[in-house]
Amino acid sequence: MSENHTAPKTANNWAYTDIVKDHFLNPRNFIMGDEAKWKADGEGLVGNPVCGDQMLVKIRVKNNKIADIGWKTYGCASAIASTSALSELAKGRTLENADKISAKEICDYLGGLPEHKFHCSVLGHQALHQAIKDYQSKHKE
Amino acid sequence: MFSSVIIKEMIYLDFSATTPLLPAVKKELLRIMELDLGNPSSLHSAGQTGKSLLNRARSEVAQLIEARPQSVIFTSGGSESNNTVIRTFEGCPIFVSAIEHPSVLHPAEAYGAPCTKIPVNQQGIIDINFLQTELEKTIIKDPKQKILVSVMLANNETGTIEPVAEVAQLIQDLKKSTHTKIYLHTDATQAVGKIPVSVKALNCDYLTFTSHKLGGPVGIAALYIRPGSPFKPLIMGGAQENKRRAGTSNVLLASGFKVAAQEAKKNLNKYQEVAKLRDYLAKEIKKKIPSAKIITPIEDKAIGPFELIKENSRISGGDYERARSMAGATRSASRSARLVDDGNQTEFFQARKEPIVCLPNILNISFPAAEGESTQLYLDLENIEVSTGSACASGDLEPSHVLMAMYHDAEIAHGSVRFSFGLTTTRAEIDELLAKLPPIIAKIQDLSTIKQGKS
Repeated sequence: MSENHTAPKTANNWAYTDIVKDHFLNPRNFIMGDEAKWKADGEGLVGNPVCGDQMLVKIRVKNNKIADIGWKTYGCASAIASTSALSELAKGRTLENADKISAKEICDYLGGLPEHKFHCSVLGHQALHQAIKDYQSKHKE
Repeated sequence: MFSSVIIKEMIYLDFSATTPLLPAVKKELLRIMELDLGNPSSLHSAGQTGKSLLNRARSEVAQLIEARPQSVIFTSGGSESNNTVIRTFEGCPIFVSAIEHPSVLHPAEAYGAPCTKIPVNQQGIIDINFLQTELEKTIIKDPKQKILVSVMLANNETGTIEPVAEVAQLIQDLKKSTHTKIYLHTDATQAVGKIPVSVKALNCDYLTFTSHKLGGPVGIAALYIRPGSPFKPLIMGGAQENKRRAGTSNVLLASGFKVAAQEAKKNLNKYQEVAKLRDYLAKEIKKKIPSAKIITPIEDKAIGPFELIKENSRISGGDYERARSMAGATRSASRSARLVDDGNQTEFFQARKEPIVCLPNILNISFPAAEGESTQLYLDLENIEVSTGSACASGDLEPSHVLMAMYHDAEIAHGSVRFSFGLTTTRAEIDELLAKLPPIIAKIQDLSTIKQGKS
């Protein structure tokens, strides 16, 4: 049997980059268990299960900086990886800087995403934006 | 070499997507490749050798669906076969089930005037009453126009078997009473090779089936056309395929298809064992992941119409509907199902041997709060290959239209995973899957914004 033209089954056959795969397999900063128990200063929720993607982002703020960030995501590999990436990007930044994180920045951090995934699954920054607004509205007075 | 070792470790549970080439098919393909064949349309010897190989292939392939060879043409794939039938009825009213393959659905939407979609219940079985009412309305409007009804024999995502024989009976009745020309097409791509399929028993005008779901090569399929039924070629040109499909005949792939068809016929009975594996997987998943929703209507086997009929002296409402749908799923059961209508349960009982409502080799399960593409990819990292009805995994980012038609619930569609088996699937592979799956689902559910049981 000639084996040389059988494509080997390796992770290289994936539609996603190795960085995406790593974040998908080992998501950073996600909230284990009940998210209600994860005390936060602000939170944001975007997307919905009907579309197939939903992200919850919660932040703890110290000295105007994101001291801690936690999240949950319902969605595909790229949705999970992009929220994980966002959490890494946002951690330690000032609120102003964190609010500037764009879908493109997340995508670049992950080494790129398939074109059709970019628009639907990269929503984490919007959830973060909401979380920051939520924090700011609570701390106006 | 490395690949043989690695391939062995892969647990392939996506046979409904495509099947690996059977060893006998590979052998045949290599044998044909060694022959220096001419064009089967050429009159010289090299051409005529090709022609006789092509005829042989046609005859074997036709036998698989109990058709005569001259009623079967080769096409490039199931999609072409389906498109060819639909395009023949361009500008006519076309009725299709809501769960057809896109290669029926899209051309029907584009060329039907109008295209009517037949809704399905949660088992995925079409609403025959709806079809009857809508057909009658269409006939009253214009009894002279041709009508096409296209209902798949078995669904590719759930494995649900449709009551095609009963649809054929309905069409015959309507034709008799109204003299309107109504034709029936069935896409039997998933059913052929898994359950007995006969164009005579189904009484259909057109039937689609393909090679690569049977362990044959991709790139060749067949279309059965009942003699006398309307036909317009989709690909025009030369006189190949009895002037029904132009293009140089593909002797190589047709020969591969031939061997796949022979093997399918030989191995049909072995699918009973596959059904046992499927039932085992379903039972164990339910045990390990109680929130899992079994989409494929296998449960109905246990509480099949037998019991229903035995227990109830009169069949009414939903029970009757269920019994009737299931009856239609077996060959030549349509008549007996009609007898139930007259209250004659005994006949119905006798006509049935065992309720068959789904294919033996497909199990579709939806995991709440666990998006299907994630499940699929985590399983892939464990070298287990499955498919999903999630929007994320599809090219068009829409959740499975099949599951949407059955449940009208996007979350069920997004969470669905299809396990499809072949004759080579082993109990050990299923056990491996059963060991790997629960922690994966638990992890995805923990990551999820959706709480189990909340939605």
